Amino acid sequence: MNRLTMNICLTAMLLGGALAAKAGHASETVASAAVPVAAVSSIDTGMQALKDDVLDLNRELFMLEEELLFPANTQVAVFVSMDVGEFFALDSVQLKIDDKPISNYLYTERELKALLRGGVHRLYLGNLKTGEHELTAVFTGQGPHARDYRRGATLKVEKGVGAKFVELRISDRQSAQQPEFVVREWE
Amino acid sequence: MSCIRNSIPGSGRRRPSLYGLIALLLVTGGAAVSAAEPVSGSVVRDLYYGEVLFQFYQDEHFDALTHLLVARDADRVGNHEAESELLLGGLYLHYGQHNRAEQIFSRLLQDSSEPEVRNRAWFYLGKVRYQRSLYPEALQAFDRVSGALPASLDAELPMLKAQAYLALGRFDAAVALLDGWRGPESWVAYARYNLGVALVRLDRPEDAIRQLDQLGRSTFDTAELRDLRDKANLALGYLYLQQGRDIDARPVLARVRLNGPFSAKALLGAGWADAAVQDYRAALTPWLELRDRDLLDSAVQESLLAIPYAWARLDAHSEAAAGYQAALDAYDAEIGKLDAAIAGSRSGQLVPAMLSADDARIGRWYWQLDALPDSVETRYLYDLVARHSFQEGLRNVRDLAALSANLDEWQSKVAAFEQMVATRRTAYAQRQGRVAAGLDQAGIDELQARRDVLAARLEQVAQSRDVAGLATTEELDRWQRLEALGTSPALTDVAAGDARERYRLLKGVLGWDLDRDYQYRLWQQQRNLTRVDALLVKAQSAHASGAAAWQDTPAELDRFAERIASLAPRISSMQAALARDRNAEEQRLQAMAIDVLNEQRERLLSYRVQARFALATIYDRAASSARSAPVAGGTP
Repeated sequence: MNRLTMNICLTAMLLGGALAAKAGHASETVASAAVPVAAVSSIDTGMQALKDDVLDLNRELFMLEEELLFPANTQVAVFVSMDVGEFFALDSVQLKIDDKPISNYLYTERELKALLRGGVHRLYLGNLKTGEHELTAVFTGQGPHARDYRRGATLKVEKGVGAKFVELRISDRQSAQQPEFVVREWE
Repeated sequence: MSCIRNSIPGSGRRRPSLYGLIALLLVTGGAAVSAAEPVSGSVVRDLYYGEVLFQFYQDEHFDALTHLLVARDADRVGNHEAESELLLGGLYLHYGQHNRAEQIFSRLLQDSSEPEVRNRAWFYLGKVRYQRSLYPEALQAFDRVSGALPASLDAELPMLKAQAYLALGRFDAAVALLDGWRGPESWVAYARYNLGVALVRLDRPEDAIRQLDQLGRSTFDTAELRDLRDKANLALGYLYLQQGRDIDARPVLARVRLNGPFSAKALLGAGWADAAVQDYRAALTPWLELRDRDLLDSAVQESLLAIPYAWARLDAHSEAAAGYQAALDAYDAEIGKLDAAIAGSRSGQLVPAMLSADDARIGRWYWQLDALPDSVETRYLYDLVARHSFQEGLRNVRDLAALSANLDEWQSKVAAFEQMVATRRTAYAQRQGRVAAGLDQAGIDELQARRDVLAARLEQVAQSRDVAGLATTEELDRWQRLEALGTSPALTDVAAGDARERYRLLKGVLGWDLDRDYQYRLWQQQRNLTRVDALLVKAQSAHASGAAAWQDTPAELDRFAERIASLAPRISSMQAALARDRNAEEQRLQAMAIDVLNEQRERLLSYRVQARFALATIYDRAASSARSAPVAGGTP
């Protein structure tokens, strides 16, 4: 035990684990992997290729499922979006098509944050026959001055041969200091 | 020094904080968030892009990636072409898919002329290369960023560049970049630390000391930054020791928290600082604190030699001998445990045990192993597990396991899909006769024929201005009766004067009424005919599409069956490949772990040799002293 031992420790301290990497791999200088670099690289390439193949397969399966369960000629999808949200804190959305309840969704805080950042929630994906249908959405939550708030919006939609997309949009109407609920069809 | 001399809270054997170590070493994983932020404005112009963002903002990255791939394939995000491409690249990058990510960012640079998109693409391209240790190429890409980036990327860029410079040994460039850099507090702290390291490497100790000292005196709110501050103080303390400034080292090492991941090394260094000025009694205080800690820490192992060394220097030879003997016993016990750990690791249970308590949700983002199972093997591997390469390997194992679980789900769904197609075939066969009859009996042609007859009749009425042709049933009845009366011989009789006059009057009134209503009625019937035409077109179209759909059903079911049949074996072969790669990766990690365990074993063996030699020396000196003089004493 002498100064030499201490210096070994010092060198390791200062140079071995030198870099503090908040967002990178600079700390790799610490590592002493037993596997040669070339082998790691080859494993990495193989791993990437395999994951890529699985992701591709996953995509194909996902599309097959949608086409099988919700063919385009009957498909209807209903989305919920939110803009600003100053006058309304959403709790839940109840959705009816032709007076039949098809979804009653309670939002978590995490989901609400995602909505406020610009995310769009697909509330419902299902099938509808061609022809006219009435879609009703009931929004519940807290309105201005933290009061319980419940509001409905209705839209008549004509279901044709293609998929039908409907957006339930909650936004702030600044002029009235009130939330606004709009149901609209997308092409 | 008071900090070190105080008793350790919660004394006893303790594990270093794995979380603390990893927090200093690993990717924080926030970059894909920045990639997803809209390039301009925040209006979602494609619902499916918004849906991807909804999943992404909830950290459901695998779902986001899958939905984005599907949405792009189905042409559902055409209004967010560049943004979705950036997001896809970011998601791939964070999923460890560097090749895909590089392809995407390169393509974006070819296709997009928007400066915001190009800047982000250059940034990410640089980051992909940086993560693959292609530092010159990474710097080339970073240098192409020529404008504003989102705030988080703006802060990350100089750090990545500096780290690339450091990795290339271009310390002067790193110093030039980091010195005086302004950014968010957390980034500045890391920048200052790296600047300090670069200055040490440039042999500018005074400048390095200034940077490390400033960081070492800072106040931070987060555990991550407090760990970084400890690391800076530790580095500074050892730098002082290296320069022989032992008195300066002591207070700096005392700033390291006793419950942090660097406290053992700080205590060891503090002891050496005291020993360097011959104050062995003082040196014993931190070293004795270390004695009670977990022996897997190299600083604790070293302290077992340092303590008897100090006793010997204080001429307390019996304590020194006892200390060396205690060290030997401890090393032997630890070597025995290491042997058991090596045997346990060879059995292949190491990696599964590490991931046993893992939440198997897919995705590597933000994931890190922050707690290890309490087993013989894992207690020696904290430092190894904190390494990037090991964490990356664990992530790969975890990704592969999660992908395999995902495919298991699909496997059962595919079986349901097969069943669904079979059921639809049966239903088709059962309904075939009824539907075919229904289609045949729909009577569209007959309806068309009836319409044509009516249209011809209307045309005839219009051409001949046959006002009676548009009469109501009642009017027509009256008209026909009047017509019949007109041909009656009785009406021509002289005696029928009044009756004939009334007949003329009635016929005239009825004719006048029919003529008055003729135009309106003609318009009404023509309008009705137009409506009938529209309804007939709809009926024909519905009939045709119904017939076509019905006719296409077998072929469509065949296509589904083919797709399902082709996907099912692919799932099986992928599962096999996933299992194979997972096993290989586990073997690689296991080999790394065994290497580390062997290194530790070798180090303990070396300490053991030193302890045995020192003990023998003490005994020799004691024996020779006893032979030469009856008075006890001597130097170690």
